[in-house]
Amino acid sequence: MLQARNLAIGYGAETVARDLNFDLAPGEILAVIGHNGSGKSTLVKTILGVETPRDGALQWTAKAAPKPMGYLGQLTEFDRRFPMRVGDLVETGGWSTLGFFDAAGQSARMRASAAIDEVGLREIAQLPLHKLSAGQLQRALFARTMVQNAQLIILDEPFAAVDQNTEADLLQHVLTWAGEGRAVIMVLHNLSTVLQHCARTLLLGRGTGRFGPTEQILNTQALVDMGYLAANQAQWLAGSPSNGWAKDV
Amino acid sequence: MFEFLEFEFMRKAIVAVLILSLGMAPLGCFLVLRRLSLAGEALSHAAIPGIAVAYALAGLSVMSMTLGGLIAGLSVALLSTVLARLTLLREDANMATLYLLALAGGIFLLSVRGTAVNLESFLFGNILGLRTGTLILIGCTTTLTLLAMAVILRPLILLTVDPVFARSQSKRTWLISAVFMVLVVLNLIAGFRALGTLMAVGLMIVPATSARYWVNALTPMLVLAFCFGAGSSLLGLALSYWLPNVPSGPSIVLVCGGVFVVSLLFGRNGLNLLARRS
Repeated sequence: MLQARNLAIGYGAETVARDLNFDLAPGEILAVIGHNGSGKSTLVKTILGVETPRDGALQWTAKAAPKPMGYLGQLTEFDRRFPMRVGDLVETGGWSTLGFFDAAGQSARMRASAAIDEVGLREIAQLPLHKLSAGQLQRALFARTMVQNAQLIILDEPFAAVDQNTEADLLQHVLTWAGEGRAVIMVLHNLSTVLQHCARTLLLGRGTGRFGPTEQILNTQALVDMGYLAANQAQWLAGSPSNGWAKDV
Repeated sequence: MFEFLEFEFMRKAIVAVLILSLGMAPLGCFLVLRRLSLAGEALSHAAIPGIAVAYALAGLSVMSMTLGGLIAGLSVALLSTVLARLTLLREDANMATLYLLALAGGIFLLSVRGTAVNLESFLFGNILGLRTGTLILIGCTTTLTLLAMAVILRPLILLTVDPVFARSQSKRTWLISAVFMVLVVLNLIAGFRALGTLMAVGLMIVPATSARYWVNALTPMLVLAFCFGAGSSLLGLALSYWLPNVPSGPSIVLVCGGVFVVSLLFGRNGLNLLARRS
């Protein structure tokens, strides 16, 4: 679906990371991890087309980038006091394919309604946004992403504000999407999720990136090299038998 | 009691405020929801020097005063957006600085030229002396506003509730906010003659904040804001007719204020006094 060759990404006058090489196939879940400022959000913006590549190429297998692109970003700018009900928010997922004067069609309504059932929000579909918990809001946004019905879905730290239960539920939806042949890119911090569910990982850090099968990328040496872990943390992880993911160095 | 309906100037005034409320209601709602309530005030002040200078140069012409106000208001709005992108300071800081400079500069220019502009008519408006030209301006502005709002409504909603998502779906979100700000400035200017520069923004903001106290969805908020605005305008006009020496602008905004206080006290998103007692 997507192939990056010697890609350099940045915003404004700054280049954040260069020499990125990775690819993404339909039905695959790609994990993106990296330290703060390593360029995770910039990479997401570049794939969305908000930022342009500084160098190298980002090629789509199809002639152009898929439209719409499913996207669920961080909620720092989300306004929960906007007068909107949960159901309305979910329906906005269908808007990007509508023309200026088109009314939202019957099929979009049906998809929104089905999505609300799927994430388990039927009982609170009429609640205004400001009454929702963080977990409920994230469920609603997952439902909106479903309504987008996109072939490529980008999730930027989707589990940052939710509890373990919600995370487990929402992860099931991500797996379903991949099963339907959609490509998913997930920016994550929780390494165990990466190890369990993502076949391949892009590890960003120190101005560049490493890409490959998750088991190869997630070793303590690489994580230290790329600035994701401090050396003493890595030692502790390597010495602790309970940490399944921290294999040999 | 309603003998004022027989006067042509009253009928003109009624038509003017009803049409103004129609366009100002949705703009006011989005100003409030986009946390730009105070930017409306700043923009209305920013337009004053443009109008004053046009008045000094070309006299009492609707066309040139509209153009002058539009240029001054839009320069401040656009410049503060551009500066916010290019520099560290936020939009509100730039806008506050620029509108104060514009206002001071306008008054300075007028004083140097020694033209006596009647500031009072700028500040409080003179709805009882509306010309047909002003009515046409109001009608055109409202038509344009409603059409443009229909076109940008969905992107504007997305941009307000979830800007990060909106930007992921469209590269032209800046255009949406720019169109919106142009509409705001246009409506303020259309409202200046009727309500005065100090009061025009009141008919935008106060009905919108009052409406938000009652409802939790956008469509009812828009409808309610229009009803509040139109109703307050009519009552305010009547008040300024019944009570001699009360200008129409302040009396309309004061009625809006009455609606606001009731909404604040009893609305379900306000203090909700009735529900608490039971």
